[in-house]
Amino acid sequence: MKPAPFEYVKAVSVADAVALLTEHRGDARLLAGGQSLVPMLNMRLLRPSVVIDVNGLADALGEIALQGDAVAVGALVRYAEIERSSLVAERVPLLRHVVAYIGDRQVRNRGTVGGAVAHADPTGEIALVTLALGAIMRAEGPDGVRDIHAEAFFLGPYTTALAPDEMLTHVIFPPAAPAFRFFERGRKHNDFAVLSLAVVGRPEPDGTWRDIRIALGGVHDRPVLAAAAARALEGRRWDDALVRDAALLALEDCDPPDDFRASAEYRRHLVPVHVRRMLSALAGGHE
Amino acid sequence: MIETVPILVTVNGTRHVLDVEPRMHAADLLRGMLGLTGTHVGCEQGVCGMCTILLDGTAVKGCLLLAPQLDGCEVETVEGLATGEELAPLQRAFKEAHALQCGFCTPGFLMAATALERSGRRLTREEIREELSGVLCRCTGYEGIVRAVERRLTGG
Ligand SMILES: Cc1cc2nc3c(=O)[nH]c(=O)nc-3n(C[C@H](O)[C@H](O)[C@H](O)COP(=O)(O)OP(=O)(O)OC[C@H]3O[C@@H](n4cnc5c(N)ncnc54)[C@H](O)[C@@H]3O)c2cc1C
Ligand code: FES
Ligand code: FES
Repeated sequence: MKPAPFEYVKAVSVADAVALLTEHRGDARLLAGGQSLVPMLNMRLLRPSVVIDVNGLADALGEIALQGDAVAVGALVRYAEIERSSLVAERVPLLRHVVAYIGDRQVRNRGTVGGAVAHADPTGEIALVTLALGAIMRAEGPDGVRDIHAEAFFLGPYTTALAPDEMLTHVIFPPAAPAFRFFERGRKHNDFAVLSLAVVGRPEPDGTWRDIRIALGGVHDRPVLAAAAARALEGRRWDDALVRDAALLALEDCDPPDDFRASAEYRRHLVPVHVRRMLSALAGGHE
Repeated sequence: MIETVPILVTVNGTRHVLDVEPRMHAADLLRGMLGLTGTHVGCEQGVCGMCTILLDGTAVKGCLLLAPQLDGCEVETVEGLATGEELAPLQRAFKEAHALQCGFCTPGFLMAATALERSGRRLTREEIREELSGVLCRCTGYEGIVRAVERRLTGG
């Protein structure tokens, strides 16, 4: 037994989970897939006094459903369920695509979409996709339900806009621009990303591109949008020079960290190279 | 004083009523409380896959599951594969393909591969490698392991 002692409670409803979080304000943790929380407990990086198991709430939070023309993914939907969902494959193909880059079979059998977003790993693929697609996080707290845009949700490494007594209940993906490319560079197969990158856009009949979003992971203290680069490309026809200049602009919105996976310098080198390649691939309709 | 949690868990077909400490993980429960030491423990942070077991038929890492979470669940471990002295076909395939050297990783691979075998999916060699990538082997190399699983999945 490696973790420090804690009390274990099973939540019977979202309201119950919120009440428990409120009661133990700041000293309790929700347990979803456990694929990030339990390693941190085992390493004693976290020592909550109460662990609130929400796995029993799958009836309420384990569904992938169409809401109007948006796709609402319950916080307890596991990666393996994303892999199997035809609704996700059809409506949110980028989400389906990136799941293959997360962990391994056992991790994907347990890890949840809500856990991944709440954990807010700066390299996390799901967090990256919520930014790239402009997703909305729905949270429930003692004062009711509120929606938080992905852009306002990730505040820093492992830090989100969720209050300590709020629970994430759904991640909602509105319809997004149809074309995307995703790239990831890791140290080894399915390891956490050194750089991850999603570009999304809509090709118009007149040859211009609209609704460009470029999301970067692993190169800042949180997943970020390369807003300056996207602005440079919006509503224009792309040629090599424009794409190259936009790719350089991507560096304006990130401040890559130095860590055991890679140096900041290496990450800074990777960003424009791969943004350029993904934009060219998007424009050319090839990999 | 932290209270223990009463659980009812079925392991390899046998029901157990246990009082567990919340901070105990499932692999420790199997090894320490039930004496099922076939489930190995390596990193205890979800990376090596030594502790892979089946939870209601799904391959999971036992070190990332808290013991109280097993309440009401069916667990299968490597001890459940053979019938008496007779090895399961997958175990025989491992033996024939020289898929182990020290054997430390073998229970993890066998359980991950058991889940694959039961899924009934026909997989390419590449897909098998991908599906098994959550278990690490530090001595034989993966060739024999992949060959053994490939033979089973293609009915060999
Ligand atoms: C070997 C290994 C490899 C991995 N590789 C990757 C990878 O390549 N990419 C990647 O992105 N991740 C990776 N992960 C992490 C994995 O994706 C986790 O599943 C994920 O980060 C957390 O999801 P979870 O459901 O397991 O959450 P948990 O571990 O249960 O919880 C994580 C955190 O989120 C909080 N939380 C959970 N659910 C909610 C909720 N509904 N509302 C509010 N707070 C909540 C918890 O309290 C905790 O603080 C890996 C993990 C392992 C063990
Ligand atoms: S001991 Fe569980 S994955 Fe290493
Ligand atoms: S046989 Fe020794 S670690 Fe795999």
